[in-house]
Amino acid sequence: MAATLPEVVEELLSEMAAAVRDGARIPDEHLSSLKFVFGSSAIQALDLVDRESVTLISSPSGRRVYQVLGSSGKTYTCLASCHYCSCPAFAFSVLRKGDSLLCKHLLAVYLSRVMRNCQQLSVSDKQLTDLLLMEDTRSIKDADGTSSFKTEAY
Amino acid sequence: MAEALRRVLNAGRAAGPGVDGAAGPPLLLLGAPRSAQTSLLFAAALEAAGEGRGPVLFLTRRPLQSLPLNTPAARDHWRLQKIRFQYPSSVPELLQLLASAHEAPGPAPSLLLLDGLEEYLAEDSGAQEAAYVAALLLDTAAYFSGRLGASGSCGLVVALETPKEGDGDAPHLTLLQRYFPAQCWLQPDALGLGQQHCLRASLESGQLSPRVEWSVTFLPNGEMAVTPWPPQASKPSPDKTSPSAGSQSSTLVCDNLSGPQFPLDSILTSETGADSKT
Repeated sequence: MAATLPEVVEELLSEMAAAVRDGARIPDEHLSSLKFVFGSSAIQALDLVDRESVTLISSPSGRRVYQVLGSSGKTYTCLASCHYCSCPAFAFSVLRKGDSLLCKHLLAVYLSRVMRNCQQLSVSDKQLTDLLLMEDTRSIKDADGTSSFKTEAY
Repeated sequence: MAEALRRVLNAGRAAGPGVDGAAGPPLLLLGAPRSAQTSLLFAAALEAAGEGRGPVLFLTRRPLQSLPLNTPAARDHWRLQKIRFQYPSSVPELLQLLASAHEAPGPAPSLLLLDGLEEYLAEDSGAQEAAYVAALLLDTAAYFSGRLGASGSCGLVVALETPKEGDGDAPHLTLLQRYFPAQCWLQPDALGLGQQHCLRASLESGQLSPRVEWSVTFLPNGEMAVTPWPPQASKPSPDKTSPSAGSQSSTLVCDNLSGPQFPLDSILTSETGADSKT
């Protein structure tokens, strides 16, 4: 994501990425810092990452978008290039109140990239358009979590 | 943009600190009146079209009634043909166009322009909708940049007319400013008293760049003159192009601002200008 994060967060994420790259465990103090900056969203986002809920969807055109399977079973769409998530918390806490930097889904996108457990999925260009339009936020994953894409859902 | 618009305002001078091919941060063109915004966007489109890079995508809610500029560049068929006008008439149409941009054939644009964002946002005042429009504009420009690869990136300039002073802020302005780190304000200039229509353009491209200002004057004969502000060297008057400012090419004839007394040269005979004549 080319979107801007505060420097302290960028630094934290890159240190976490370095730890993962070296095959080390992410130090506890990094996780504490994450919780300090993002509050309860940090735990929820880490939980989403643990459950491999983040999928990077791309089409032959090269355009990409993220989908995050929320804890409630709903799927939210996050843009790959800037901060936007289709969830209500993003609309309320991030956009309207401005008291959060990111929603847990956007944070999970960042963390899944750091921890390299982002799922990958290829769809057609037309399907990617539909995903970007966010008209259908139903899960693109089967209920059992496999990544077969259901074209009939579109 | 921000580079295409910066080059328009810096007419005749180097592009500044920008790296070759770099488009600069997404830019919001703010202020009033709308016609001046349209002229500047069109000037930026012509500037980008003349660079030998990708085409320019110009989005506006309704077809331009007249060509906003009447400069040699605006009469250049080759440049005009590189500007693709599209007229999404509603928010859903705009979103559809942006979300499906990767399905369109042809080379990726090097500049994406949207005129009159306020006309789209007025339809629906939800914060999430406004953020979605802004974010999808950024996402589309980022996708075009990815397609352009090493040959450069795709700039983004969005014009938003703000209410006159005292009438409050434009809806969602604070929200939009989050997505557009660079902003160029057009404000009436005291020097514009009398017949001249004079604006001050103030460009703020981010935290680290200093504010840069220009004086944009619309002369009674329909020309648009751009000079740096404050005036440099020999104190050029704002109603003339100043050779000392290196602005020989900065006089632009602008006829949608000066009314019907300045007939069009039938330059833009079609919506795209593809079959225009000089």
